[in-house]
Amino acid sequence: MTKTIAIAGKGGVGKTTVAALFIKRLSQKGLVLAVDADPSTNLDQALGLSVDDSRTVGRIREEMAEEVSKGRFSPVVSKQEYLFSKIIESLVESKGFDLLAMGRPEGPGCYCASNAFLRSSLDKLVQDYKYNYIVMDCEAGMEHISRQTTRDVDVLLIMSDPTIRGVTAAGRMKRLIEELRSNMGKVGLIINRVRGELSPEMKKAIDESGLQVIALIPEDPEMAGLEMSGRPVTELSQESPLQLKVKEIVEGLSL
Amino acid sequence: MEGEFHADMGPQYEGEVIRKEDLYIEFGGPKAAQKFELATVKSPDEIENEKVEIIGPDIGDLKPYDEEKGGGSYPIAVLVDVAGGELDKDAEAVIERRIHMFTNMIEGWYHMNQRQDVWTRISKDCYKKGFNSLRELGEIYILLYTSEMPIIESIQVTIITDEKKIKELLPHALEVYAARDERARTLNDEDVDTFYGCVLCQSFAPTHISIITPNRIANCGAINWFDGRAAAKIDPDGPIFAIPKGELIDAIKGEYSGANAIEAEKSLGNYDRVYLYSAFEHPHTSCGCFEAIVYYIPEADAFGVVHREYKGETVVGETFSHMAGETSGGKQIEGRLGTGLEQLRSPKFIQADGGLARIVWMPKDIKERFKDALEAKGLYDKIATEEDVKNVDELLEFLEKVGHPWIKGEVELPT
Repeated sequence: MTKTIAIAGKGGVGKTTVAALFIKRLSQKGLVLAVDADPSTNLDQALGLSVDDSRTVGRIREEMAEEVSKGRFSPVVSKQEYLFSKIIESLVESKGFDLLAMGRPEGPGCYCASNAFLRSSLDKLVQDYKYNYIVMDCEAGMEHISRQTTRDVDVLLIMSDPTIRGVTAAGRMKRLIEELRSNMGKVGLIINRVRGELSPEMKKAIDESGLQVIALIPEDPEMAGLEMSGRPVTELSQESPLQLKVKEIVEGLSL
Repeated sequence: MEGEFHADMGPQYEGEVIRKEDLYIEFGGPKAAQKFELATVKSPDEIENEKVEIIGPDIGDLKPYDEEKGGGSYPIAVLVDVAGGELDKDAEAVIERRIHMFTNMIEGWYHMNQRQDVWTRISKDCYKKGFNSLRELGEIYILLYTSEMPIIESIQVTIITDEKKIKELLPHALEVYAARDERARTLNDEDVDTFYGCVLCQSFAPTHISIITPNRIANCGAINWFDGRAAAKIDPDGPIFAIPKGELIDAIKGEYSGANAIEAEKSLGNYDRVYLYSAFEHPHTSCGCFEAIVYYIPEADAFGVVHREYKGETVVGETFSHMAGETSGGKQIEGRLGTGLEQLRSPKFIQADGGLARIVWMPKDIKERFKDALEAKGLYDKIATEEDVKNVDELLEFLEKVGHPWIKGEVELPT
């Protein structure tokens, strides 16, 4: 059984950092498919890889649509098979995990067919490659998840900074996702960069958000150093607060 | 089969994947510029039966993929030449496609794509077991072809890894692929027994079904008859499914009993007839996803075409999105037809209404995109665009001036 973990949150809360650490840690336990489903962040860089823009699923779909509309696409090559093969070509293979970048969501026009082909391609990918885990770094609106995958999410982690506004936004995101997805497993809140105790006001906001706190991650000075020197977060030492917390979360969720 | 070769074979290995961590060496794929595979039907005297020829370095001669240094990607061309009394040119594509299936049936081998995009991987385990020559691959191909396709009477396989040689042969392969595509484009509704239906859009338009035939691409422009066939084969009960064509009722309007039956079923009884080649009577329904709209212009008694990307007003003063609102929703609306753009190249495009020769207006962008098809019918400079005319009065003047064949009464409707 493949376990699907989605990590969501608005920009700047450290979601991509946590996703990268999750991917690294889980890749020691099994094969991971890392999905970068947020076009505004760079999961590839966080993992110490680089994906050029032409290798995103969105771009592949756009290019195919353009070839088709110009009458240049071979009429006898199955579009479903073609899309699948281009997705395989776009996979960035690494030790213990593969990375797939979704790219931008669609523009105007009809995407029913191409999204249907994409959904079946992604399902086939997971089936053929026998991934043990899928870790998705999601954009706030979860556009890709709602349209391009049929997978159920086993664990949804919503991240926030230690602010009332952040926690309220996380609560809204939870409700939005619950509307999009009928089948949602465990949902938890992670608050990042926590200094000291949470204020009573924060505790009240968390209660009102309807979210259950899974972890409070303290400010990690080592992380700031890495970010300033532009090195991948996977270089964080195993004893750093972030690494220890991610380890704790993985164990706590029995992934 | 085992024992003779250094790898086991069977359908159980078809889904096997070789990731980089297990990779020994790969041929073709995104990192190799030169690659293709080609099957050719030849006369028996051109074939040395069961011969396998390797041109260029073999697996054992090449440096494998290295985790630190990378590399290990090489060019490849696979040529399968066959002969047989029952074989004709049309069989080539089918035979060629089997290379994909046969390679994947070998334990430790992985094959993706086709034509000039092929990608083959060999696992470390497979190499370790002694599979170190492409000759063995060629021998396996011959064994599988002759046992699975008795229509093949003699066969020879050539596997080339010499980049210069591949580069030399690739243009010929590309010509063959293009010729095959061309033949597919000339496939007509009369040539087949099965159409395909697509209800992917039924969540938007519950009474809509796209009927896909060799002469009619789906409204969204994304699914042609070959895609329909491939999709229905993978998942016959899915949203894209086979429709028995049934009896031909009207060859000019494009009425088939099978299409009528499915129209009645999927439109929930709203319609029981559909004319595939007309925008007037029982026109095909539209979801909301069509690439373009064909719309009737009463003053000219002719049609305009507008596509989704065109943001301005059409010659009748309405925009695409305004018209789309009225055309969509799975209804049959006489004089309004949602369509895939590629349909403009179809010989059956609103055939009953006069075809392409009844089009009098289209955006410049479309006119340029379909220039070849319009020129072939002498229509390129007869059709007005937004640059030529702003309203219907100007359109009528323009048509008079250029002598549009429909306005001059030169177009005869088929009877």
